[in-house]
Amino acid sequence: MNRKRSLARTGTAILAAGLAAGALSACSQNSSAGSSQTGDGTGTINVWAHQGQDSEIAVMQAAVSSFNSSQSKIKVNLRLISSDTYTSTITNTPKDKLPDVMEMDGPTLASYVYNQKLSPLKQYVSASTVSNATDGSTAEGTYNGDLYGLAMYDSGLGLYGNKKLLDAAGVAYPKSAADAWTADQFTTAVKALASKSPAGKSLDVNESSLGNEWATYAFSPLVESAGGGLIKDNKADGTLNSSASVKALTTVQGWKPYVDSNADGNAFPNGRVALAWGGHWNYPTYSKALGSDLVALPLPNFGGGTKTDAGSWTFGISSGTKNGKAAGAFLDALLSDRNVKAMTDANGAPPATKSALAADKLYQPGGALALWGDQLNHACPATAVTPSCIAVYRPVTPGYPTITAKFAGALSAIWGGSDAKTQLDNAAKAIDQAYTDNSNYQ
Amino acid sequence: MTTTTSAHTARRTGAGPGNSRMRARRQRDGGPAMLMAAPAVLGLAAFVAVPFIVAIVLSFYDAQLNQVRTPKFFGFTQYVRLFTDPVVAGPFFRSLLNNLVFAIVVIPVQTAIALGLAILLNSKLKGIPVFRTIFFMPVVFPMALVAVIWRLILDRSGNGLLNAFTGFVTAGHFVPQDWLGSAGTALGAVILLSIWQGAGFQMVIILAGLQEIPTERFEAASLDRANAWQQFIHITLPGLRNTLIFVTLYTTIMAFQLYDQVYILIKTAGGNQTALQTVLYQGTSSLFDENNLGRAAAVTVVFFAIVLVIALVQRSLLKQRTEE
Repeated sequence: MNRKRSLARTGTAILAAGLAAGALSACSQNSSAGSSQTGDGTGTINVWAHQGQDSEIAVMQAAVSSFNSSQSKIKVNLRLISSDTYTSTITNTPKDKLPDVMEMDGPTLASYVYNQKLSPLKQYVSASTVSNATDGSTAEGTYNGDLYGLAMYDSGLGLYGNKKLLDAAGVAYPKSAADAWTADQFTTAVKALASKSPAGKSLDVNESSLGNEWATYAFSPLVESAGGGLIKDNKADGTLNSSASVKALTTVQGWKPYVDSNADGNAFPNGRVALAWGGHWNYPTYSKALGSDLVALPLPNFGGGTKTDAGSWTFGISSGTKNGKAAGAFLDALLSDRNVKAMTDANGAPPATKSALAADKLYQPGGALALWGDQLNHACPATAVTPSCIAVYRPVTPGYPTITAKFAGALSAIWGGSDAKTQLDNAAKAIDQAYTDNSNYQ
Repeated sequence: MTTTTSAHTARRTGAGPGNSRMRARRQRDGGPAMLMAAPAVLGLAAFVAVPFIVAIVLSFYDAQLNQVRTPKFFGFTQYVRLFTDPVVAGPFFRSLLNNLVFAIVVIPVQTAIALGLAILLNSKLKGIPVFRTIFFMPVVFPMALVAVIWRLILDRSGNGLLNAFTGFVTAGHFVPQDWLGSAGTALGAVILLSIWQGAGFQMVIILAGLQEIPTERFEAASLDRANAWQQFIHITLPGLRNTLIFVTLYTTIMAFQLYDQVYILIKTAGGNQTALQTVLYQGTSSLFDENNLGRAAAVTVVFFAIVLVIALVQRSLLKQRTEE
């Protein structure tokens, strides 16, 4: 059985290789014919989106059908694709087979631009839609100076705290981002809380996902805050394996004895731990379990001010569209306050348009996640991290898949007890090799 | 699958008097035989041969998944890196070593356990079908399910089933271990769960082999006052020789194709990547995590070479058997 499945997998890999080879030759033949066309703004356009939670699907479908019934010139065909295979579907689809409008995971955007699958947006969407996008949405969607993606919603990352347990242990916690724990204060707090816990654990970092994108999303902010980073000027050596990065991840490694393995996913809501590294998507469950005892905190400050991650799914117009004008009109409608509010009400995410974010009670002063909303108001791209910037968007570069795979591999090895310096050195070398092989993705 | 076919061919070509007659018939049936074989041959060509040739070609290029630009010709660089560049070769050799250790432990242990279970279940007791079902059940479970069950058993907290058990029997003297996360125990843990999942399958094959041994031999042996151990050594084992060769070779190939459980445990259960990665894991993560099509193709080609060597050994062993 095993053997059959593995064979099938090898087969799939080989098949993918074969298909890609076919695609390679097909693409290189007509690389000049792929630029987008404006069209007359009427007709049918195709839209691909990932199949999220049921509530998100309902909002997406409602947005499309209300757009279709609000006017008669453009008809939108929505196709939802399973989120597990969404990214590989887009990656493996040649550009002339892509839909007019496609959704994509933020950090993968640059690789699609590099492979000429996306068209700059400003020629098709209205100026007001562009100016209403949050700084984060713009940072995430901009590559080489052009805007390629606009998002409906962003994401929020930080620490969740259990007020009752924090108070019981006499641990003071930060009230604002400026007030964030330092690395030493945080380690002390973790130890103090653990000593009050029956199982000796006080923190959940979702450790079972450290081999995935979660590693980069959740822990690259600490590296940024320490003064290190993932990559700088197309080179990871000297940044990813800088002494600041090594020190930061060694500190993280030191928390392991106080971290609950959280096999059941209930460590925080059941009160086994007082602190949880988590995203906005945890909010519905956590707030239901803890009620008014739930507090949202900033991640610890490792030297350069607290930093957090952000970014989520974003929408772009494909380079193969023959109907750019219609595609732009649909994006204008999709990013209206009404649709964005419906979507963020459904999934609890912070809106990625200025007007909707300003109206979102959860993320505004007085709201439960106000601190995280404030973090998103201080957003910057990974290429321009300043002390005042809090939400650092992951590097917009075609080499991102390699960066995140190597960072996650290194972090999970460090978490397993390996030496941080060795792991980060190897990761940096592997990333630099990928950049050299591809002439820095120029 | 290949084993049984080659066994048949070997037997057929080995048979003396029938040999020429069979060859004549084969020639006579040439036309229709070719026609009937055509769909399978076409399928093999389209889904095995052609993609594999493409993989060989790709391994000489710096090809990326999702690439618009024409890939650079890379010569043997991918292979040179796989074997000499520390960045690539380090994980690759570790993967080979992991495969090897897994194979060296799993082949004898799993075969021995399967043999033991088969002999136990071959006895004429009431309710034997129930036990057979129970021992065979893990084979029916999908590996994803097995990995999730064992993730809970091997959980590093004191509440993990294994940690709770060892803590209980040693009255708390045994500190909870991070079975999957620490480099020392991760591969051992995967070996354990793989044997648990896989032994049932070998058991059924051996059971079938046991039932083919004529009972007269055991009766004759007991008349000669051979005890149970002597019967096992001189009758059961020789009678099972062919079956055991097949089971061993099957387990070898399975051991080199170790993938599902390590992928699931690394990606979703905090498994130690260094200690758990395998050759197949290297290939798929090069392709799907890093978009590195060229390296993935090179890994696949090397992997093919390894499996080919195993298949050749398998054939030569089977030949020895039929000549005796």
